[in-house]
Amino acid sequence: MNSGTPSSSAGAPGSAESAAPRRNSKRPKYSRFTQQELPACKPILTPKWVISAFLLVSVVFIPIGVVSLFASRDVVEIIDRYETECIPLDSRNNKTGFMWSNADKTCNRIITVTKHMKQPIYVYYQLDNFYQNHRRYVKSRSDQQLRNPGNERDISTCSPEDTTPEGLPIVPCGLIAWSMFNDTYSLSRNNQQLGINKRGISWQSDRDRKFGKGVFPKNFQNGTAPGGAKLNESIPLSEQEDLIVWMRTAALPTFRKLYGKIEVDLQAGDVINVTLQNNYNTYNFNGKKKLVLSTTSWLGGKNDFMGIAYLTVGGLCFCLAMGFMLIYLIKPRQLGDPSYLSWNRNPGGH
Amino acid sequence: MAGWRGSRGGGDGGAQSVERVSSSRTVRLGKVQPQAPGHRTVFCNDRDANALAKFKGNSVSTTKYDVFTFLPKGLFEQFRRVANLYFLMISIISCTPVSPVSPITNVLPLSMVLLVSLVKEAWEDWKRFQNDMAINNSSIEVLQDQKWVFTPWKKLQVGDIIKVKQDGFFPADLLFLASTNADGVCYIETANLDGETNLKIRKALEKTWDYVNPEKISEFKGEIQCEQPNNSLYTYTGNLIVDKQSLPLSPNQLLLRGCSLRNTEYIVGAVVFTGHETKVMMNSMKIPSKRSTLEKKLDKLILALFSVLFSMCVLGAIGSGIFINPKYYYLRFENTGRTEKQFNPDNRFVVAILTFFTLITLYSPIIPISLYVSVEMIKFIQSTQFINNDLHMYHAESNTPASARTSNLNEELGQVEYIFSDKTGTLTRNLMEFFKCSIGGEVYGTGVSEIEIKIAQRTGAKVESQKQPHAAREKGFNFDDGRLMQGAWRNEPNPESCKEFFRCLAICHTVLPEGEESPEKIRYQAASPDESALVIAAKNFGFFFYKRSPTTIYVRESHVEKMGKVQDIAYEILNVLEFNSTRKRQSVVCRYPDGRLVLYCKGADTVIYERLADGDGDLRRISREHLEQFGASGLRTLCLAYRNLSPDEYENWNEKYVQAKSSLRDREKKLDEVAELIEKNLILIGCTAIEDKLQEGVPQCIETLSRAGIKIWVLTGDKMETAINIAYACKLISNSMKQFIISSETDDIREIEERGDQVELARFMKELVKNELKRCNEEAQQYLLSESRPKLALVIDGKCLMYALDPSLRVVLLNLSLNCSAVVCCRVSPLQKAQVTSLVKKGANRITLSIGDGANDVSMIQAAHVGVGISGQEGMQAVMASDFAIAQFRFLTELLLVHGRWSYHRICKVVTYFFYKNLMFTLTQFWFTFETGFSGQRFYDDWFQSLYNVIFTALPVIIIGLFDKDVNATLSKKYPELYKEGIRNAFFKWRVVATWAFFAVYQSLVLYYFVVASSNRAMNSAGKMFGLWDVSTMAFTSVVVTVNIRLLMMCNTITRWHHISVGGSILAWFTFVFIYSGFVLPKEQENIYFVIYVLMSTFYFYFTLLLVPVAALFVDFIYLGVQRWFFPYDYQIVQEIHRHEVDNNRIGLLEIGNNDVSPDDARRYAIMQLPGQKSKHTGFAFDSPGYESFFASQAGVYVPQKAWDVARRASMRNRPKPPRKNEIIIYYTILYILFFFLNTYVAFVESMYHIIPQCSNDSY
Repeated sequence: MNSGTPSSSAGAPGSAESAAPRRNSKRPKYSRFTQQELPACKPILTPKWVISAFLLVSVVFIPIGVVSLFASRDVVEIIDRYETECIPLDSRNNKTGFMWSNADKTCNRIITVTKHMKQPIYVYYQLDNFYQNHRRYVKSRSDQQLRNPGNERDISTCSPEDTTPEGLPIVPCGLIAWSMFNDTYSLSRNNQQLGINKRGISWQSDRDRKFGKGVFPKNFQNGTAPGGAKLNESIPLSEQEDLIVWMRTAALPTFRKLYGKIEVDLQAGDVINVTLQNNYNTYNFNGKKKLVLSTTSWLGGKNDFMGIAYLTVGGLCFCLAMGFMLIYLIKPRQLGDPSYLSWNRNPGGH
Repeated sequence: MAGWRGSRGGGDGGAQSVERVSSSRTVRLGKVQPQAPGHRTVFCNDRDANALAKFKGNSVSTTKYDVFTFLPKGLFEQFRRVANLYFLMISIISCTPVSPVSPITNVLPLSMVLLVSLVKEAWEDWKRFQNDMAINNSSIEVLQDQKWVFTPWKKLQVGDIIKVKQDGFFPADLLFLASTNADGVCYIETANLDGETNLKIRKALEKTWDYVNPEKISEFKGEIQCEQPNNSLYTYTGNLIVDKQSLPLSPNQLLLRGCSLRNTEYIVGAVVFTGHETKVMMNSMKIPSKRSTLEKKLDKLILALFSVLFSMCVLGAIGSGIFINPKYYYLRFENTGRTEKQFNPDNRFVVAILTFFTLITLYSPIIPISLYVSVEMIKFIQSTQFINNDLHMYHAESNTPASARTSNLNEELGQVEYIFSDKTGTLTRNLMEFFKCSIGGEVYGTGVSEIEIKIAQRTGAKVESQKQPHAAREKGFNFDDGRLMQGAWRNEPNPESCKEFFRCLAICHTVLPEGEESPEKIRYQAASPDESALVIAAKNFGFFFYKRSPTTIYVRESHVEKMGKVQDIAYEILNVLEFNSTRKRQSVVCRYPDGRLVLYCKGADTVIYERLADGDGDLRRISREHLEQFGASGLRTLCLAYRNLSPDEYENWNEKYVQAKSSLRDREKKLDEVAELIEKNLILIGCTAIEDKLQEGVPQCIETLSRAGIKIWVLTGDKMETAINIAYACKLISNSMKQFIISSETDDIREIEERGDQVELARFMKELVKNELKRCNEEAQQYLLSESRPKLALVIDGKCLMYALDPSLRVVLLNLSLNCSAVVCCRVSPLQKAQVTSLVKKGANRITLSIGDGANDVSMIQAAHVGVGISGQEGMQAVMASDFAIAQFRFLTELLLVHGRWSYHRICKVVTYFFYKNLMFTLTQFWFTFETGFSGQRFYDDWFQSLYNVIFTALPVIIIGLFDKDVNATLSKKYPELYKEGIRNAFFKWRVVATWAFFAVYQSLVLYYFVVASSNRAMNSAGKMFGLWDVSTMAFTSVVVTVNIRLLMMCNTITRWHHISVGGSILAWFTFVFIYSGFVLPKEQENIYFVIYVLMSTFYFYFTLLLVPVAALFVDFIYLGVQRWFFPYDYQIVQEIHRHEVDNNRIGLLEIGNNDVSPDDARRYAIMQLPGQKSKHTGFAFDSPGYESFFASQAGVYVPQKAWDVARRASMRNRPKPPRKNEIIIYYTILYILFFFLNTYVAFVESMYHIIPQCSNDSY
C-alpha cells in the first residue's frame, strides 16, 4: 500500500547514546504513506488553464462537429408518412374497424427522389408512440427458446403469449414476436420493380448466437387475435431477419427498423411507386407509420444531433475561452494574492 | 473438608445462600448499580459447601458469537442498521414480479457489504476467542490436599485458596489472606485496571497473616460474608468470620483480577468473585459511542435522498396509472385471469401502487449503500495509519505516539470551535517541583517562577532571571534558600514551626519508598507528583522518610536536637484519613516514640482555613497573603496544619472511626463524617508552593489555535490568580483584551459567609451573579459594536459558575461567553467542567473539544464532542475515556489543523461525491422512465447496476478520502486561519449539497438525452439500428467515465494511486463488459450479448464517448474555474501562493525521536523513565469503542463499549501483541478481493502513467 519508496529510517531507531533507554521505542516508523507524503502533482486550475482547456475543447470539437455535420448532410433521406393516407376516405372515421375487416389493405404511395441516392439505399419503417421499451414488453420473450430447439417449453417469461389455448408452446413466444410488424412494401420505378434485399439487415451476432439454426416457428399466431406478422414455419429463426430486427427492442417509443436495402442508385427526380400492404394496426393508439428511404454515410444515417452538439459545445467553449481571456486581460486576478484571503479581506471579522 | 472433591451440587447446608445469590443475576453492565440486596457467603477452602450456591466459574468469555449463533446473531446485528435494512427490503421486493430488475441487482451489493462486515466480525471474535482461551488456560497454583497444584484459571472456583507469585496476575478477585512479606503486606500494580503505575499496598487481616504454607492454610476455615458482585472498583465491604469472630473486610484486603503482584514473593488468597463476576468484568462501561456532527448531517442527507426517491416514485406511479390503457394492444393490458395486477387497466390505483414498489426497486441505487462502509474504512485507515503514525505527534521524551482511540471522529477534529482545557498536566507539565514555602509567616525560596518571568515581560519590568546553580536540585525539588538548608532553619525565628512543617511533610502522605534506603538511591512511589515532591522536599530539608510499614513511618531526622545529629525515628501511624476530591485534604494521626499524639493535615487553603483553631489571626492573614502571592506566581499551594491530641480524645474518636470503618453500608460517607470530627481546631504551620511549569510550545499552540478561530476555555481547579496568570503566560489572555471577572472572593460575600447563613448566602450570590452577568453582557455588546472591537475575556470562579449555570441565567452566561475569545473558569469541580462543556455543546450548538490528563477531566472529556487525553503522564483514566490521546498539548495543532482539517475536507468530498454519483446515476434511470410509459423498465443491465457502486466507482473515492490534500501540513500550520473553513462547515453545507445536486441533475440530463438523441438513426454505413441495450450500454459507459473523471476534477493532489484507481475503475468496466457480453451465459444475459462489440464497431461509440463526458462536465468545469477565479476559497489562495514550492515537511521528521537530546530534555526524559511516571500505555486504539463500532455506526446504531475491552486489558499480560498490522491487512485483503481483477491492469495503467507528463516527479 505504501508508495514505492518507503525509505524507512526506522530500522535503526536509537542510533547514538539514546539507544540504551529506548529499547521499546514506540516511535512510528517512517513511511511516505503514513506521513502522507506520497509524491503527487498538485494541479491548480489557474485562469490560464481554464482558458487553455476551453480552447483545447473548442479546437477539438469544432472540427469534429463540422465533419459529422457534413457526414449527416451527405445522407439523403426520404420519409413518407402513410398511416392515414392508406385508409380509404370513407373508413377514416373508424380506422380500427377497417383494420379488423377483411378489406383489401393494399395502398399505393408515390415518392419523388429529390437528390441522387447512391446505393445501397436502406428502407426503414418508423413507428411512433410504440412502447417497445415497456417493461411488460421487453421481458416478454424467451431467449432460451429462441436459441435452442430443446428449450421449446422455456416459456415462463412469455405470458400471455406463451402457449396456444391447447397448451402447446408457441415458438417464438412472447409479446414481442406476437406483435411483429407486418406491413410490406414493394417499390417500383418506372414500372420496373426495385428489388429489396432483406438479407443482412440484422446484426450478425444476433443471427449467429441468439436465434438458433434449428429453431422453427411453431403454433405461431394461431390464436384468435393475431398481433402481427406470421412466420414461415419452414425457415429457421436464424434466417428470419425481419423477426430478428424486430426482436432487438428499441430504446425509445419512436423508432426505426431496417426493412431491407435497394442495391441500385436512385436519381434525382425519379418517381417511385410504393405498393404497400397496410396490415399493421397502429390506429388504436394513434401510432404513426412512416416509410423511410435513406442512404448512409460513414457515420451512419441522417442525424444532425451529434454534429450540432459538438459544434455547440465547441462553440460555447470558444466563447467562454474568449470571455475569460477578456476578463483575464482587463481585470486579471493575481495568482496567490494574500489580500484575497478571507481574514485579510475583513480583518477582525468573525 | 480440606481441599476439594470435585463434586458440584452435592452436599447439603447453605441453601440460604442460594436464594440470596439469585438476586444478583439481573445485573446489567453500565454505571454503578445499586447494590443488590443481600450478600454472598463464601466458605473458604470448602468446595462442597460452595457448590450449593452455584457461583459462576472463573472461565471468561468475551466473544460475541459462537459457531451456531454467529450467522443469525451477526446478521441481526447487521440489519439493525437502517441502510442495510432498507436494502434487505429492496432485495425482497426485487424477488417479486413487481421488480423490474433481477434480485441480483440489490442482493449483490448488500451481500458484499454484509460479507465485509461479517468477515470482520468473525475475525475479531476469533481473536477474542483465542485471547479468552489463552487467559482461561493460564495456570495458577491452587491448594489441593495440602499441596499447591497447578490448575488452569478456568477451573478456579469461589472459595478456593490459591497462591500467586511475584509478577503474577490475580486470576480472580481474591481475599488477601497472607503474604511472605512481614506484616501481611503486599504490593500490587493496577496499571491494567486504571493505568496508574504506582504500586499500591494491600494488607491482610492480622488474623490470617501466618497462613503462608500449604500445611497451615489447609486448616483454614473461614466464612466470608461480603457484598454481591458489583462494578465499583474501589469499594468492598464484608466480614470474615473465623473462629466465631467477625472481622471487617475493606478494599485493602481485596486483590482484583487484572492487577499484578509486585515486590512480594507470593501471596495466598481466597477466591471471592470469579469470572464475569469479578469487579473488572463487571466494570466494563457502557460509553455511548460518539458520532461526528458531519455524520449526523449525513443522515439528514440520506433522509433527503429518501424523500427525493419517494417523490420520484410517486411521480412515476401516478404516470403509470394514467398511462395504462388497453389501446396499447401489443402490451396486452387486459383484464383476464392471467394478467398480473400491475397490468390490469381496470384498476389504475392498484397499478400505481405496484408501480411505486417497482420504481423503488429500480431507483434504489440513489441510496449509496457502500457509503457508510467506505467512509468507515477511510476513517479507520486515517486514524490507524495517519494519526497514530504521525511522527510530528510522537513525543520522544515520553516515548508516546499519538493514538486515535476511535475512528469515528476524525472529521470532527476539523470543525472544533471550542476547546476546553484542563490546566494541570495539560497546559503544564505536571512535573511538580517544590519551589517555595511559607513557614510561620516567613517566605522561603528565592526562585522566580516561569510565570513570574512571563508576567514581568508583559508588564515590562525587568526581572533578573539568572539561573540558580543546579547543584542542590533534584527532580521534584527546585528550592534554593540557604536559610532552611543543612539545618540552618534552627537559626530562624521559628524553628519549632519549621520542625513541624518538615515532619508534616515527611509523615502526612501515602508515598511508598522503593529501593535502597539512602537519600540518593531511594525512589518514591506516589499517587500524585505533588506528594512525591513534598516528600522529596522533606528529604532535602533533612527529614528523610526511608521506610514504611503498615503501621509505622521511619524518618531519618537530621539536625533536630542539635546540628549534625542524625537519628532514625519511627512514628506509629494510627490512622490515615485519605485524600479525596470532596475532602481536598489528607490527614495522618501518628504517635511519636515519646507518646505524643499528633494529627498532621495538609490540604487546600480553603479547607484548612475553615478548620483552624481560633486565634493567631496575624499568622493567618500573613499566610493568606503569601498564598495569594504564590498563586499569582502560578504556583500550586497547599496548607499544612497540625493538632495535638490527648489520648482520651483520640480513643473516643478512634472508636467511632473503627465503627465507621467496619460498617457495611456507606462506609465512605461515614468515614468522611468521622474525619470531620477530628480535623478541627488545627494549628496552621505554613504553606507550600509547588511549581508546575508550562509545557513546551503551549503559548505558540494557543496562539495558533486562536488564529484558527478556535476559542479556548481553561477550566481549572486552581485559584483565580493562578489561573489568570497561567492564562497570561500561555498567551490566552493579553493586555489588549477586555477582561470580565466574576469572582466570589469579594468582601461582601466573605461577610455573609462568616455569618454562616447558607440560605442567605445562596440568595445573595445568585443576585450578585445575575447582576454581574447582565452588566458584563451589556458591556460586551457595547464593545462588540464599538470601532476597535477589542477581544474579550471572561474569568469566572466555580462558586459563581454554580449560580450562573442555573437555567435562568444560563442563556446570559452563554451569550457573554460566546462573545469572549478566552474564558477561564477557576476552582471548578469535575462536574462543572462537564456542565460548562455541555452548555456550549448543547446551548450554542458548536463543536467542542475537551482536553485533559487526569481523572477529574473524565466527565468533561466524555461530555464534549471530541475528547482528547494527554497520555504519558499521570494516570490513564483520561486517556481511557478519550477519543484521541496525545502526549503534549502542543500536538493539538497537528491533530486539529492538519489531521482534522484534512479529514474534514476528505470526508466532505467523499460524502458529496457519493451523493452526486448515485443521484446522477439514478436520475438517468428516472428520465428513461418517462419514455417507457412509466413501466419501470430498467435502463441498465442488472449487473451493471449492481456493480456500479461496488466496483466501477468504489476505489477512487476511497483514494481521495485517503490522499487528498488541499495544502500540505506545513502550510496548514502556517495559515491556521484555513481551519475556519471547517468551523463554518464550508464544505458540507446545504448550499454545497445543492450545487452537487444541480450538477447531478444537469449531468444526468446530458448523459441520458445526448446518448439517446444521437442513437435513433442508423448507426453505421450498413444502415443497422441500435436497440435498447446498445443505447443503455453506451449510456452506462459514459456514466462510468464521467463520474470517474469528475472525481479527478475535484482532487487537489493527484498521486499515482489516483491514476491507478480512476484508470483502473474505467478499465474494470471495460474488462467486465468485454467478458460479460462476450459469452452467452445460460440465463438472463442475452440482452447484452455482444453489445459492446457492436457498439465499438461504430464511430458513434467513440464520438459519443468524447462528446458526452465533456458536455456533461462542461458546467462543472465552468463552475470550478469561476469559483476559483472570482470566489476563491482560502485554501486555494494558499495553494497559489505556494504553488512553486517544494514541500519540505519531511525535513527533520526522520530525526524526531532519534536525535541527540539537549541536557534539559535528557533530564526530562530521565524523569519520564522513573517508575512512578512511566506509562505503560500500549495504545488501545483497537480495543476502543470506536474500533468496535467500525462499520457499526450506520444510521443511529448505538454501540456500547464492549465488556471484553476492559476485561482483556485486565486479564492479559503485557505481551507484545502485534495489533495494528493484522487489522490493516484484513481490510486491505478485502479491498483486494473486491477489486481483484484490477490488479491485472495496474501494470497497464502504470505504463500509461509514464506517458502522462512528468507530473509525478514534483514531490508535494
